[in-house]
Amino acid sequence: MSSIKGQVQVLDPIGLHARPASQIVKLVKESGLEIMIGREGQEFAKANSALRMMALKISTGETLTVEVPTQDQGLADGIIEQIQHFLKGE
Amino acid sequence: MAAAKGAILKGLGVGLVSAVGDVLVIKQTQPLPAWTKSTKTKEQELTELRSAIDFVSGTLDELGAKAGGTSAEIFEALKMLLEDEELFDVATANIEDGWSAAAAIGKAVDEFSELLGGDPTFEERVADFQDLSKRVQARIAGIEMSLSIPATGRIVLVGEDFSPADTAQFTDAVVGVITYKGGPTSHTAIICRSKSIAAVVSCPEATALESGDRVLVDPVGDRVVVSDDQSLATKSIDFVAINEEPLIPVRANIGSLEDAKAASQTRANGVGLFRTELLYLSAKTEPTIEEQVASYTEILKSAPKGPIVVRTIDAGSDKPVPFLNMPAEENPSLGVRGYRLIADHRGFIESQLKAIEQARAASGREVWVMAPMIATAEEARDFSDLARSIGKYKVGIMVETPSIALIVDQLGGIVDFVSVGTNDLSQYLFAADRMNPSLGALLNHWQPALIKSLARIASGASSAGITSGVCGESASDPAFAVVLAGLGIESVSASKSQVTEVHNALSSLSLSDAKEIANEVLKQTTAEAAKATALSEIAKR
Repeated sequence: MSSIKGQVQVLDPIGLHARPASQIVKLVKESGLEIMIGREGQEFAKANSALRMMALKISTGETLTVEVPTQDQGLADGIIEQIQHFLKGE
Repeated sequence: MAAAKGAILKGLGVGLVSAVGDVLVIKQTQPLPAWTKSTKTKEQELTELRSAIDFVSGTLDELGAKAGGTSAEIFEALKMLLEDEELFDVATANIEDGWSAAAAIGKAVDEFSELLGGDPTFEERVADFQDLSKRVQARIAGIEMSLSIPATGRIVLVGEDFSPADTAQFTDAVVGVITYKGGPTSHTAIICRSKSIAAVVSCPEATALESGDRVLVDPVGDRVVVSDDQSLATKSIDFVAINEEPLIPVRANIGSLEDAKAASQTRANGVGLFRTELLYLSAKTEPTIEEQVASYTEILKSAPKGPIVVRTIDAGSDKPVPFLNMPAEENPSLGVRGYRLIADHRGFIESQLKAIEQARAASGREVWVMAPMIATAEEARDFSDLARSIGKYKVGIMVETPSIALIVDQLGGIVDFVSVGTNDLSQYLFAADRMNPSLGALLNHWQPALIKSLARIASGASSAGITSGVCGESASDPAFAVVLAGLGIESVSASKSQVTEVHNALSSLSLSDAKEIANEVLKQTTAEAAKATALSEIAKR
């Protein structure tokens, strides 16, 4: 199955820490999709696991790729936009 | 073996409240079983693991609901980590490899901790995460951990000693606390006193108690009685105030705006110790002068009528201020703490003194300032010169080190007052770490060497023409406050919950009575005899 990719930037001053990670997990679980997240060119982590995402040790300013296994562009855009929102550190 | 009915277990009483309740033994020291290979089926191990995780998860929900606000968010985040699917997958793989449920989760958490390690952002999380792992393992092993204190009933908690994390979970059902170790200045004792929970600490025989035993916690009698008869409780001396005013002023100890407001509801005459650390320990960056002035002004305005003694920052590498560079030390209580910070952070202490001066002017209150951890007359002079160049307050120092206790008579013309911190003075006098629960008995304020030191400080201050006060925990003990007045100490500062008791005690007799009592107490050679003498002498008056 093909998937839709999008990019997000980590703006949170403490990077991808527990709070945004758990917000992402919640969203991913609700979507029921096996969404992956990571640095382009490196191994991705399952976005249903806060621990896996935290283990990537992503710092503020980094750009990440989100991979949503769907062909529904609207759905994918919505999810990626939400994830970007969680990474704003507000 | 359960304790025999009627048995009497000796310890050190905390506070004046007694209570009957059912023992709940908290085995926080019981080690978790070593990790082993499984002797059950994989399905059984998985079921055990799932149910233990669900149990701990449920406890986190309860704690979150009780705490609310920001704390609820923290519990929510912890729960998310505990219920992480990948964590469960790794643990499942460990069970597949033949490990028991406890070992499987322990190893999985270790693996993730290692992945998260080395990043300061996650350090606290890793500690929390390991704590969760222990709680799950304890649940599997059937060991009660302190998280599960019932919310109803009349419970007497029994354990080695309780940490701040433990006492934060005390429910309203906790009517009494008994610790095998820990002294009268332990964290447990301070919390129980402030919450009026009946407590007996340093009670080694309490190891004979079992959950379900009904006991009377009798702090006034320095004992626990295995009995449900409340009438056996030792009557505290009923101090009947006969004088309008106490022999010496009774002030209150505060550390925050809430404390200041609560203290102003008591009969406290001003504040004898305003701990300023709280304003800084939680700040990531140094608060501006304006911010400090605003905080201090609000607190000064709310404090009870009378002078307010403000202590400059008392931090050390064991309670570091985030925005000051405070490297870890081998021995923090003997290290760079309190006024010693001035060597590297003069600007910060000056800004604190400036802020206190501006707040003094803005609030119109009588303010005294003092520095903690002064060891020599030279340091006292250094602080005094600095403070007087900045503000129009009375200037004094804390007496906590034996070195300064010996030369209070040489401080005339340097400071206006001294205030004795008996908790730290005991720690340094007896070379007994306050944090070591096994040394509690040495930190008993009835120890003759401490009382002799206090007598020397009082007479040294009087000959130097400066005033002396006591602001340690000992001043919250009404009978001890009488002895302090008799020794020539000129004011006491108590926890706000004890102000009324101490006020009554000091209004119940004459200064000549107090002096006679103090003289009898000074003749005693053990802490037990000193206390017994004070109580029987007071009862005679």
